[in-house]
Amino acid sequence: MAEDALGIQYATPAQERETVTLGMWAFLATEVLFFGSLIAAYLNYRIWFGSEFIAAASLTKVVLGTINTAVLLTSSACMAMAVTARDAGARRAPVLWLIATALLGLGFILIKGYEYSLEYGEHLVPALNFDLARHGGVAEIFFIFYFCATGLHALHLLIGICLVSWLAFAIGTDRLRPGSTTRLIGLYWHFVDIVWIFLFPLIYLAGRNG
Amino acid sequence: MSGRLVLRCWLALMLLLATTTALAFVPLGSANLFISLGIAVAKALVVLLFFMELKAGSALVRVFAAAGFFWLMIMIALTSADYTHRSDQRVPLDQVP
Repeated sequence: MAEDALGIQYATPAQERETVTLGMWAFLATEVLFFGSLIAAYLNYRIWFGSEFIAAASLTKVVLGTINTAVLLTSSACMAMAVTARDAGARRAPVLWLIATALLGLGFILIKGYEYSLEYGEHLVPALNFDLARHGGVAEIFFIFYFCATGLHALHLLIGICLVSWLAFAIGTDRLRPGSTTRLIGLYWHFVDIVWIFLFPLIYLAGRNG
Repeated sequence: MSGRLVLRCWLALMLLLATTTALAFVPLGSANLFISLGIAVAKALVVLLFFMELKAGSALVRVFAAAGFFWLMIMIALTSADYTHRSDQRVPLDQVP
């Protein structure tokens, strides 16, 4: 019985779903402010340094960034399909969709890693090998933002990949208690996607027509 | 949420991504920033309303979701109000006299 498997604090599955969803959103609100402070810093630097800051943004790899955005948006669609399939009571379909989600997340990380290696080759990594004489100080400020923002985002995504992989394993081996676990991990995954949706225009689309 | 709806959302997201990337290469001055951020908001709304189920969510959950973004607006507004009214040095490392 689904009700028997619920935590003792819940009267009905509907109450469980409402409660845990609310708790997840409270956590996500703190995450909005966490990434939001980075974006606030970006906007202020962009107002201060204007065209020089935008010129630094044009050193990023727009093709790889666009591919990665498509990969991440697709992974979110797969996650949504996993939740839908689980709601429908399917056994295999959620596992397959979750594996697809995790693989797309991993693909994103690999493309990001390749991008980092290209930037290392161009001496664009502050504190490691940034070429101040060649790129200038404003570009260094931009790339500090770039590595902090994309690095923290990648860390969140790695946590998401671990959660989704565990979830696929737990559903596949029938060890998951009935409840909202899939839906909650989905919320986290979609949130990481939203962070990227805003980082993408700020990082990759600035300075493309100068 | 139905599989059909997920597919429609995914198509909308891909279309918006193609539009924003293409428009970034058209010189429109400072309008470029507002267009790209506007399309980002549209993409985020698709994800929030459908993938994150806020459209079908209870009012309380929607208030919690909106609160984070509301406080973010306060933070950005106050931070910008402070920094844009400062007149002290704001130069990068290589230009410090």
